[in-house]
Amino acid sequence: MAILTRGAYAEPGTTLDFKTGNWRSTGKPVHDHVKAPCHAACPAGEDQQAWFAHLQAGHPKLAWRELVQANPLPGVTGRVCPHPCETACNRAAMDGALAIHNVERWLGDKAVAKGWAYPVDAPADDAPIVAIIGAGPGGLSAAYHCLRNGLRADLYEALPEAGGLLRSAIPRTRLPREALDGELNRLLALPGITLNARTRLGRDVTVEGLLSTHAAVILAPGCQSAKAWDVDGAVPADLHEGLHLLKEFMDHGQFPKADKVVVHGGGNTAIDLCRLMKRAGASEVTLVTASGLPGPDTAPDDIINVVPRELDEALEEGIEIIDHATVSRLVMKGSKVTGVEVVSLKKEPGKDGRKRRVAFEGTERLLSVDMVVPCIGEAVDPEGLQGLIDGTYVWAKDAWGRLEPENVHVLGDARGDRGTVAEAIGDGRLAAQAIAAKLAGAPDPEADTRLEMGASGLNLSYYMPTPRHAPAKVPVAERRFDTEIEGDLGRAAALAEANRCLSCGNCLACDNCWTFCPDNAVIKTVELAQDGSHYLFDLDYCKGCGLCAHECPTGYIQMVPED
Amino acid sequence: MSDKSERLAELRAKHGRPPAAPHEPKHDAPTAREAQPRFRGLESGHRACQGCGEALAARLVMECAGPDVMVANATGCLEVFTTAWPQSAWRVPWMHSLFENAPAIASGMEAAMKAKGKNTKVLAFGGDGATYDIGFQALSGMLERYHNILYVCYDNEAYMNTGIQRSSSTPHSATTTTSPAGKERMGKRHLKKDLLSIIAAHHIPYAAAASVAYPQDLQRKVRYAMGIEGPTFLVIHSPCPLGWKHDSAATIEVARRAVECGLFPLVELERGAVTNVMPIRDARPVTDYLELQGRFAHLFNGEDPRAQEERDHLQALADHNIQTFGLNGEGDDPLDTSGIAAVGRGGPVTGRG
Ligand SMILES: Cc1cc2nc3c(=O)[nH]c(=O)nc-3n(C[C@H](O)[C@H](O)[C@H](O)COP(=O)(O)OP(=O)(O)OC[C@H]3O[C@@H](n4cnc5c(N)ncnc54)[C@H](O)[C@@H]3O)c2cc1C
Ligand SMILES: Cc1ncc(C[n+]2csc(CCOP(=O)(O)OP(=O)(O)O)c2C)c(N)n1
Ligand code: SF4
Ligand code: SF4
Ligand code: SF4
Repeated sequence: MAILTRGAYAEPGTTLDFKTGNWRSTGKPVHDHVKAPCHAACPAGEDQQAWFAHLQAGHPKLAWRELVQANPLPGVTGRVCPHPCETACNRAAMDGALAIHNVERWLGDKAVAKGWAYPVDAPADDAPIVAIIGAGPGGLSAAYHCLRNGLRADLYEALPEAGGLLRSAIPRTRLPREALDGELNRLLALPGITLNARTRLGRDVTVEGLLSTHAAVILAPGCQSAKAWDVDGAVPADLHEGLHLLKEFMDHGQFPKADKVVVHGGGNTAIDLCRLMKRAGASEVTLVTASGLPGPDTAPDDIINVVPRELDEALEEGIEIIDHATVSRLVMKGSKVTGVEVVSLKKEPGKDGRKRRVAFEGTERLLSVDMVVPCIGEAVDPEGLQGLIDGTYVWAKDAWGRLEPENVHVLGDARGDRGTVAEAIGDGRLAAQAIAAKLAGAPDPEADTRLEMGASGLNLSYYMPTPRHAPAKVPVAERRFDTEIEGDLGRAAALAEANRCLSCGNCLACDNCWTFCPDNAVIKTVELAQDGSHYLFDLDYCKGCGLCAHECPTGYIQMVPED
Repeated sequence: MSDKSERLAELRAKHGRPPAAPHEPKHDAPTAREAQPRFRGLESGHRACQGCGEALAARLVMECAGPDVMVANATGCLEVFTTAWPQSAWRVPWMHSLFENAPAIASGMEAAMKAKGKNTKVLAFGGDGATYDIGFQALSGMLERYHNILYVCYDNEAYMNTGIQRSSSTPHSATTTTSPAGKERMGKRHLKKDLLSIIAAHHIPYAAAASVAYPQDLQRKVRYAMGIEGPTFLVIHSPCPLGWKHDSAATIEVARRAVECGLFPLVELERGAVTNVMPIRDARPVTDYLELQGRFAHLFNGEDPRAQEERDHLQALADHNIQTFGLNGEGDDPLDTSGIAAVGRGGPVTGRG
């Protein structure tokens, strides 16, 4: 019979011999770096969470280098992008989305001021060369990403200078020349990029010709031709199309004289034009748009397609907006317009399920005007694109922008399904990556299929409530034509804003899992962890309670079934 | 003698590792576990349930109390799950005797240390059954005799180790095996004992309440108590997934909501007077706390008119705490419930320059 000892003792820590890991019944914890929603929403492909992490650690330069892996023009997008990243930001529901665009701009400007070098190597002297038509944001991004993928780039631009609509149309109050040139000049000076200015596709070069001398051709001509506009066949003799007016103003600083103006359309061109004409002296400027204004009852796809801040500022400046409406008749005196009739309309689902616009009889009203300006969009200039252009646009076959023949890609506004600078920049990266892969005989780069971290996957208890930081703005009365309206966020606020980042889906190194595991099954180690965090799960002892996953603020820990 | 050591060797060969004597030098480089930047007073391999709040609380206490401490532990979950013979999860001298006498054992240990001229601090641990009920007179004596001991009560609000019987710490209306909710009663009829006030009435230097949901605060209180020569007392709210019937992943969430609704106020008393409270930034309704736990499920039975009344009663108790201790605070405070929980890259925000 076994004799039980009295007064015995056990050695310290000997329960380590008892592996409680086999108690796990439902699942085990794993680290899972999923996509932050800002990253998933960014058309340019930036990983904001990643660069905010560098800023949180106090390293602006590393943050910029991380950012420009995707987007070489943060000083530009930080000023003009409609920032869908901020709309998607998980912090929006808590105490306001991160001011991502302000910080992005601050980093971009800082890099120019400090001369931080782009993270690209000079390509080999015999590296394949890609021909790129158009040196707007799309073409420039494509050239930059060619370098990042070991290729060289020849840009062909019809105008004397690079920049596309950034230079020719976007007002300086939003994108000052110094900011634009600061970034563009640095980009164009990178070894491996050649800019052939005043060289027009169709007139000076052809796609076939370029294909015979280059490894691939990228088309990035944007949309430069006004779409035809009339109201039941009526067109004023002195009709000025919106983008044309704007470009003229950018060049000469003057608008044709007008006191009461109706702008018809909806988009950045329309809003920019309204605001500039009002500042230039028009007493009443009214925008008539088929879209809706943002609000709780407006469906996201029905909201007017402009940068949200620009819309706010336009309303602040006294621009009248008649939403869900169209111009139904022009009142003419001879060939001159004196009034427009406006009618309410809405998009209603038709028999085939597709939405169509229905005007409501009995809602007509007359506005007296002395100028009406259509801003209903532009089409691709077909010159040199015969066989590629289909009606108004050059439609791509896939996300990489492929066309027939092989080795020809299209990107940016010319695609027809784009319309922002960030989309053009993202397209440039994808096209360059696909071309580089093809030249290397590799399959298309793999798409990022990781899941996206929603707000419900975070534990918000651990984030200090902190309101969003906002930069100063020039007051309405002082807004003119050159001084930028939105100010610089400044270093202190930029770093403070970065600290508001929730680090959605990625480890913050906050120690919560390490602190809270009742079983000491989280090991903190910088040396051994290989998955991007500093922590390991010791599955010999983890009982699978799920507590660490619940208390992880960032959602980086997920419970998954045992293999 | 030889009988005993043979038997020990036999048991260790069967269940445990061969003991490494302190004088036998260890040659291997430390493992990642050994290299953890904190004192591992309570090791893995203990047999607590998944998500046990008490296991977590004890580990947090040991982390900042150790290593120069010794522990007297009353019978209860903590004693049972850490010391399955012949193993021990402890890395400090640790002694168990009975359910009711941990404070008396600790008093003796402290006297022995004094006699030997050692500074080793004595800790006494007990569950709420051991503390609020059966060991209470021993505890009162320990405090009155002014022993230099930190007593920690792991409050899981019932006798868990024997299968969830009510204690005087069980909150009003919670169901337990001995206060079952049903036709006669809505769970426990009586109120949770206000033990802290009774302890404070001993006029001891320091008595405080802490919660596993706020480890920084908990550890500050342990360190403060460790620095005091004389009797000190800490009660730690420690959710029990088994007895409170909540998901094992929700232990911290439950503890956090108990504090945020006011039902478990985190207060500190010195010499009987309240000297500090953790303000609640945004007080939440008690139902947020109750709804996570099966022991309060009967309070959400829409058919039963008593349910609403009991919920209102618990809300009134929480409001009373908030008012009595002034838990509303005066605006945002880095040490309130939101401030102290906040983390940033690289760890908790509290205490950063
Ligand atoms: C007034 C206005 C305001 C806007 N505001 C914003 C905003 O705030 N935010 C935002 O994201 N987007 C805005 N946009 C849209 C944005 O400017 C475009 O989506 C973006 O510029 C598209 O870039 P891209 O490179 O595709 O084309 P573009 O910028 O149009 O560049 C095309 C380039 O190709 C050149 N080119 C064209 N044809 C040829 C040819 N045959 N041969 C050689 N070169 C040729 C052109 O000269 C031009 O330089 C705005 C647009 C306008 C008009
Ligand atoms: C005098 C005596 N009565 C009863 C018991 C049986 N017993 C062992 S542990 C326990 C309950 C312990 O409850 P508590 O102190 O609240 O600690 P918990 O297990 O909840 O952590 C009881 C009743 C005992 N060991 N000794
Ligand atoms: S808290 Fe610890 S025991 Fe629970 S799942 Fe996480 S690692 Fe495992
Ligand atoms: S709890 Fe904190 S340290 Fe642990 S994985 Fe999540 S973010 Fe990283
Ligand atoms: S019964 Fe409760 S206190 Fe005991 S080990 Fe399980 S969870 Fe912890």
